[in-house]
Amino acid sequence: MKPSIKYFLLIYPAFLLSGGCQKSITSQTGTVRLTFRNTVKTNPMVLGTTSYTNPFGETYKITKFKYYISNVRLGLSGLPTTAIEKESYHLVDQGLPGSLSFSFEAVENSFITLSFLIGVDSTRNVSGAQTGALDPLNDMFWTWNSGYIMAKMEGTSPQSNQVGNKIEYHIGGFSGANNVLRQIGLTFPGSKFVEIRKGKTSEIIIEADFDKWWQTPADVKIADLPVCTTPGVLSKKIADNYSDMFKVTDVVNN
Amino acid sequence: MKFKILIYLILILTGTVLLSDACKKGDGDRSSSGYHPTYLQLTIPAGWPLPPTNIFKDNPLTEEGFQLGRKLFYDGRLSKDGNFPCASCHQQFAAFATYDHQFSHGFDNSFSFRNAPAIFNLAWMKEMHWDGGISHIEVQPLAPITNISEMAETLGNVLKKLGIDSAYKRMFTAAFGDTAINSQRMLKALSQFMGSIQSYNSKYDQVKRGEASFTLAEQNGYNTFKAKCNACHTEPLFTDNSFRNNGLTLDPFLKDKGRMGITGDRVDSLKFKVPTLRNTALTFPYMHDGRRFSLLQVIEHYRSGIEVNQPTLDPLLKNRIAISNQEKVDLVEFLQSLTDNVLLKNTRLEQPR
Repeated sequence: MKPSIKYFLLIYPAFLLSGGCQKSITSQTGTVRLTFRNTVKTNPMVLGTTSYTNPFGETYKITKFKYYISNVRLGLSGLPTTAIEKESYHLVDQGLPGSLSFSFEAVENSFITLSFLIGVDSTRNVSGAQTGALDPLNDMFWTWNSGYIMAKMEGTSPQSNQVGNKIEYHIGGFSGANNVLRQIGLTFPGSKFVEIRKGKTSEIIIEADFDKWWQTPADVKIADLPVCTTPGVLSKKIADNYSDMFKVTDVVNN
Repeated sequence: MKFKILIYLILILTGTVLLSDACKKGDGDRSSSGYHPTYLQLTIPAGWPLPPTNIFKDNPLTEEGFQLGRKLFYDGRLSKDGNFPCASCHQQFAAFATYDHQFSHGFDNSFSFRNAPAIFNLAWMKEMHWDGGISHIEVQPLAPITNISEMAETLGNVLKKLGIDSAYKRMFTAAFGDTAINSQRMLKALSQFMGSIQSYNSKYDQVKRGEASFTLAEQNGYNTFKAKCNACHTEPLFTDNSFRNNGLTLDPFLKDKGRMGITGDRVDSLKFKVPTLRNTALTFPYMHDGRRFSLLQVIEHYRSGIEVNQPTLDPLLKNRIAISNQEKVDLVEFLQSLTDNVLLKNTRLEQPR
């Protein structure tokens, strides 16, 4: 009894020092990078100058295009194990090239799905002052009806009856009947895997086609609906439309 | 033998605790850099319910944070032209409401479109604004700061102005551990000040604590209050924080539908938050748009003025409220006993010098 206790006392501090301060690492991690390419149909989106035509023959220019991507995770087929990004909140802003890509560490595996929310989950909408991507300074927060604008497009159109021919679609609302949060699940082209390996970076290229905002399931004609700046029916319709705007065009495993 | 094992065990456990404490560093060990805030506690008055949520859960209340929030609350630089600090509409002598103004006066000779509510006991308030549009005390200041008929400033400009003031650099460091000045810290500091404004020392409270007694008129008024007002203006906060339509006619100019503007739901048309009656003698004019100038007028509204054919009228008011002339006068006596002079004269809440 006595010797074994003494022996234990001797090795115990060593055990604590070697392992005590490390986080438990169960497996190796690699890097995954998500890159968003905003388009209108198949053309790269250009802010300010290029004139586009929507499915109703209405022409418009885009001056702002921003949306939140949150709760990003990689998935496996039929298995509960997923790689979940911590503190996963990103504001993708066509006007800020640096915002179109972000990376995170994921556990080694061969993943076959990518999922995320368009918007900011309801918890963070009601948790007080946030920072980083969620800083209200980013002009994506409604101050009169607390909550994030999940996605925003601003521009002009000759078909708009508003001052300066403005069009503005600020899509938000996180609770109850007004919830515009949409869960997006994407697979990869050509049955490709995202191969996460230690020391390597896999890149997922995601195309976001703004043309989807106008149609399916709901028709949004500029002449009738040039502005949406509140939670409610129109916000939800546009969210339903844009929930179809993402597709993965390529996966590059380096 | 057993005693020795016990000693060994104690040694092992102590070592484990010490080492695991050492592991906690890393997440900004500020103690070595001179960050020693003085932690404060929100007062929960005896007999009160606990706040519905802990507003200081992610924002530890400290003396330094409170003092920073206090400076910000009284600083005109949070407004576009420097004339409209938070305190311009939330005056301590009016229990942090606007004294005698139906609407608050904002930037460029403008009126706000609702009556400024009194600010106290906010830890017990789940949603802010007459329509409940604000979900958390920390994001509340964003509304008046950016509203064009209130402070009319942008968040970015406010932060720029604060950033060039060395006093703020010092105070943000004292409150949060380093010199970074950002919107989150500014809002958390304001929230620490606003959340610390508490009212629980009126004559009514003293009576409840056995330190004073009501006059006959106050007691009669209290009895009437308990019978006819308490269902919505529930003690001890004197509000149940619900949204109700109290039968005011829709103002044809303002067209303010209240809660419906937030939920988009017709059942919420013309509903507004039940305001607290604490300090009510000082928070006139009354109602969301300040249309009633005296307590007698307010009581008269409930007695004879309620528009009873409104579909969303609160069921408790469908027959109006029967109140005799004597009861009316006594009610006013009682309501005056809800004035909290300790709050009004609390030097910790004054404009810092």
